[in-house]
Amino acid sequence: MRLRRAGIALALLIVAVALQTTLFARLRPFDAAPALVVLTMIGVARRLPAEDAVVVGFLTGVLQDLLVESPLGLWALTMSTVAFVVARFRSRVEDDPTLLVPVVFVVTFGALALFALLGTIFGEKTLADGGVLRKMILPAAYNIVLGLAVLPGVTALMGGSQRSGLRGFDL
Amino acid sequence: MWRPGGVERSTGIYVALVVVSLALVTFDLRGSDAGVGETLRDGAQAAFTPVQEVVNTVTSPVVDFFEAISDVVGLRDENRVLRERVAELESQLQDTGALEVRVEELERILDVSPPDELDTITAQVLAVGVSEFDFIRVIDKGTSDGVGADMPVVDEGGLIGRVVSATGGSARVRLITDPTFRIAVRVERTGETGVLTGRGSGRMVLEMFNTDASLVEGDLLVTADGRFPAGISVARVAEPARAEVGFSLRTSAIPTAAVTRVDFVKVLVFTTDEAGVEDLVESEDQPVDVPIEQGEQSEGEPDVAPGEPVTTTVP
Repeated sequence: MRLRRAGIALALLIVAVALQTTLFARLRPFDAAPALVVLTMIGVARRLPAEDAVVVGFLTGVLQDLLVESPLGLWALTMSTVAFVVARFRSRVEDDPTLLVPVVFVVTFGALALFALLGTIFGEKTLADGGVLRKMILPAAYNIVLGLAVLPGVTALMGGSQRSGLRGFDL
Repeated sequence: MWRPGGVERSTGIYVALVVVSLALVTFDLRGSDAGVGETLRDGAQAAFTPVQEVVNTVTSPVVDFFEAISDVVGLRDENRVLRERVAELESQLQDTGALEVRVEELERILDVSPPDELDTITAQVLAVGVSEFDFIRVIDKGTSDGVGADMPVVDEGGLIGRVVSATGGSARVRLITDPTFRIAVRVERTGETGVLTGRGSGRMVLEMFNTDASLVEGDLLVTADGRFPAGISVARVAEPARAEVGFSLRTSAIPTAAVTRVDFVKVLVFTTDEAGVEDLVESEDQPVDVPIEQGEQSEGEPDVAPGEPVTTTVP
């Protein structure tokens, strides 16, 4: 069961990476796209045991690293961190679903900020980008909207929370 | 209420993975260009390209639909008088609008005449990077079509970037707007040279070496870098230049190509080796030495000791 969930999570994230690099190459309102992989990671990390979530995050990050030219390991570190943070604080969100919107926004923004910071430290000059703030804020905002469809979908595919009885929109 | 269930073990795994990630970064940065990292990237790209092609095919109608809607909205804004007629044609436009735009783009790219009668390979953008900070485009032509590393990529507007790696059926192109991308350019009007640096989605930065150089808004900047054929449009000066503490003249420039909206491109069959031979021949006539600033890593630049002057001979 646990392996099956991890397998589904990885498959979902691979599809998310494929969609991120193809669909959102052309669907770019205001010249920015949602961070679909980060959003899917938020949904997946919520449904997996914490240690599995971190490993799945790492593997997803490695795949992303291999598809771009930035140093290998930057996305791995970023996605591991996303998974770890979500797994660490998911109980709080379960207790108060109204935290969903700020959690999605903050985690997405934080992930992109962390990647930008790491990229700059390792010579990618990411923070030298003229629109660096816009490139963090817009995807985070889009993720809130996209989350209305993606997160329930991930929940349905991953088999729901171990805790039942949540009302409304379930992270 | 927050419950720290399972945190300790996951924290240990997380810390271990952070260490592994940092080790990977170090390993990749210290490796050579053709090292294990690059081999892994080529392998991953080759394996992932079929997935991207399938997803592209499946999602294209969705994107076409949204693009058509976007086109219709734009037309409404610009042509209030034609609103009723646009509404009647809306359903047809949704089907054909996006397709027409792409056909026009393809026609325009086919009309692009390459400099120096170089062979060209027309390609379509298959995928982009995984975030807004990745200035990479994956094109659907690779080594089996003749595309190789370091080849320049253009569209009807001018230079888009250069191929950084290629597999059998795809290639990765680094855009000129990448903050690590630096290119020697010449002001077409005056012949003065400088260096253009990418700034992501912001305007590119142009630094001229002659602080007395005349630069006006709209000046066209063309390639003057041994890595590219000379004379390809790169950018236009966006604002009057200002001297910075007397060392260089600095201003901003806007790429002439629609770098972020590119769909079809042409790869120029031109390599650095070829450039070297041409430069050698042409430099006998009238050489110009373009100094490249040290202190920042220039994309594709040869390794030199810090502070050591570097010159690139251009025609």
